[in-house]
Amino acid sequence: MSAPHADQLIDGYLARVRAAAADLPSGARDELLDDMRAHIGEARSREPEETDASVLNILDRLGEPDTVVAEARRRPNAQEPHPADARPRPYVPGVLEVAALVLLLLLWPVGVILLWISPAWNIRDKVIGTLLPPGGYPAIFLIGLVAATTVSSGATSGPTCTSSADTTGTVIQNVCTTPSVIHGAGSVVGVILVIVLWLLPLITVGYLAIRLGWGRRAQAAATT
Amino acid sequence: MALIVKTPRYAFELIEALGQTGLLTTEGTLYPLLSRLRRDGLVKTEWQESTDGPPRRYYELTAEGRRALTAFKTEWTSFRGAVDGILQEGTKS
Repeated sequence: MSAPHADQLIDGYLARVRAAAADLPSGARDELLDDMRAHIGEARSREPEETDASVLNILDRLGEPDTVVAEARRRPNAQEPHPADARPRPYVPGVLEVAALVLLLLLWPVGVILLWISPAWNIRDKVIGTLLPPGGYPAIFLIGLVAATTVSSGATSGPTCTSSADTTGTVIQNVCTTPSVIHGAGSVVGVILVIVLWLLPLITVGYLAIRLGWGRRAQAAATT
Repeated sequence: MALIVKTPRYAFELIEALGQTGLLTTEGTLYPLLSRLRRDGLVKTEWQESTDGPPRRYYELTAEGRRALTAFKTEWTSFRGAVDGILQEGTKS
């Protein structure tokens, strides 16, 4: 035998094929390597006298690993035996999403963390979920409390009365301006504000829940 | 595919036959092609021990493969006819 490097050459060639075919499904890659190994064995058995040069010639005729693998990659149906590998499974929302929605309302910081962990929502949804009910209901309670104390402290100032009297000292007019009108308008705004504050988190959570459903349907449509 | 119509052959024989016609320059590319034909159900394969070398994978046409080949022959004949017609037209004028 005058082919001291035959095995080394062949192993090196097959390793290059394997590396080039790294992105192929394992079934297709193994089959290609088996075929090429068989081909090389067949070709070697036909050589009257094997030399390093004849081995190199066999490998040279087989072609560049990249060229051969490119042929294997040419049509997408080369990946057909492994459709699960080729396409990621659609994400199915579950306990994590439900917990995120409930905790957004009751325990906002934890809810926000879960919201950002879940892959079910996109970035936009996550930002909306984080910003719209800032603090969730605990924060609204707090805001309500602060508002109530401000209103009550304002009320202590009471109505302001100005009395005008004529020269005889008879009181002609007693003008009392209570801030009732302003206070009335303020309370209407306040009530609306409270309603909005209480509804906003619910609306946001409802929106996020609907987005869950949409995402699932969109993904289902994309996979069919 | 026409090369395995009459009898199952193994890849090395196919490569030799194609090599003689000058149609195949990179021998290795035949293997992905054969794999594809097999996945498409046009050929079936079988490993057989050989007396004078390593085991060989024999390729044989399936019924569907024969139909595909017949269809291709028809298409090819009409295509060749059309090209020949154009070429002759070109040489006339």
